[in-house]
Amino acid sequence: MSLKLILEALTFGIVMIIIIISIVKRGRISIKYSLVWLLSIFIILLAALIPNFMQMLADFLGFQTMSNMIFCLLFTLLIFICISLTIIVSGQKEKIRLLIQEVSILKEKVDKDEKGR
Amino acid sequence: MVKKILIIIPAYNEQYNILKTYKSIIDYNKQNKTNYDVIVINDGSIDNTKYILEKNKIPHINLIHNLGIGGAVQTGYKYAFENNYDIAVQFDGDGQHDIRYIKDLISSLKDNDMAIGSRFIGTKSSFKSTKMRRLGINVISFFIKLFTGKKIYDTTSGFRACNRVLIEKFSMSYPTEYPEPISTVEALKTNHKICEVAVEMNEREAGTSSIHSWKNIYYMVNVILSIIVVSLRRYK
Repeated sequence: MSLKLILEALTFGIVMIIIIISIVKRGRISIKYSLVWLLSIFIILLAALIPNFMQMLADFLGFQTMSNMIFCLLFTLLIFICISLTIIVSGQKEKIRLLIQEVSILKEKVDKDEKGR
Repeated sequence: MVKKILIIIPAYNEQYNILKTYKSIIDYNKQNKTNYDVIVINDGSIDNTKYILEKNKIPHINLIHNLGIGGAVQTGYKYAFENNYDIAVQFDGDGQHDIRYIKDLISSLKDNDMAIGSRFIGTKSSFKSTKMRRLGINVISFFIKLFTGKKIYDTTSGFRACNRVLIEKFSMSYPTEYPEPISTVEALKTNHKICEVAVEMNEREAGTSSIHSWKNIYYMVNVILSIIVVSLRRYK
């Protein structure tokens, strides 16, 4: 990799880390879900810092060009993140439904008790 | 012992029908000395349904947010379970269902866990829905037969009665998507007995049906997929 590219990757990684940490600090993402992003940025930094790391990995995995491998890996990573998000959303939908039902039943009970008094 | 019977009426924007439906049950109770309790589940209606329910002192639960038919009906089952009802009857608030057939549904619960009010058995119902809808119902029916071995003719009927066993099961888990066919499959897969009872249904007074739309094909694909998934699920 050229020096230019390494510098770019480093800057990108550092900026992303700062952004994600600041979001976590403000409590907008829980630490658990921020880890997957931090981990992927960490890999980008690693790739930038270790000379020939990406090329070696591409050779090892059997990709003809390094860029092909990067696209392929990123794509896979994003698909996994999307699937896990769908799982999280589905679970939350269930929990919200349960909450609405229980609160509504409780509300009816409280209203009835108040009227009965 | 007299059985405690609850009629669950899910209602979403039913301001024009709900009072009529409730009155028909009260009148029926008086005339036949039956003792059907009613609970209307107001599924976050955005019209005057809530006001009408409160003004006429109709027993109801206001869901604090719209959940859709499955979530609303399940709330009714939860209420039935908590209040120790022996039988729960699902009944539409829009005048589609006929109160006189509830006793038929209940009497078939003697040797079944669930009784489904069906338009397609017997010759009672003149209203049998549109051709396209019937085709859809038949396809669903075919898949239920394929995966459970049991032929259910009116798979989308929302007129059904359940005993205490299924009240408990449904209060804990009830499908929120395509609840009618899917709950049937789940009940069959967990070895509950289901029968169909011939009933008469009226045509919906309001509301349009969109035939030929892509939405229906999407619906069918979804229902069939859900049937397959639910059938393949492992039950304890």
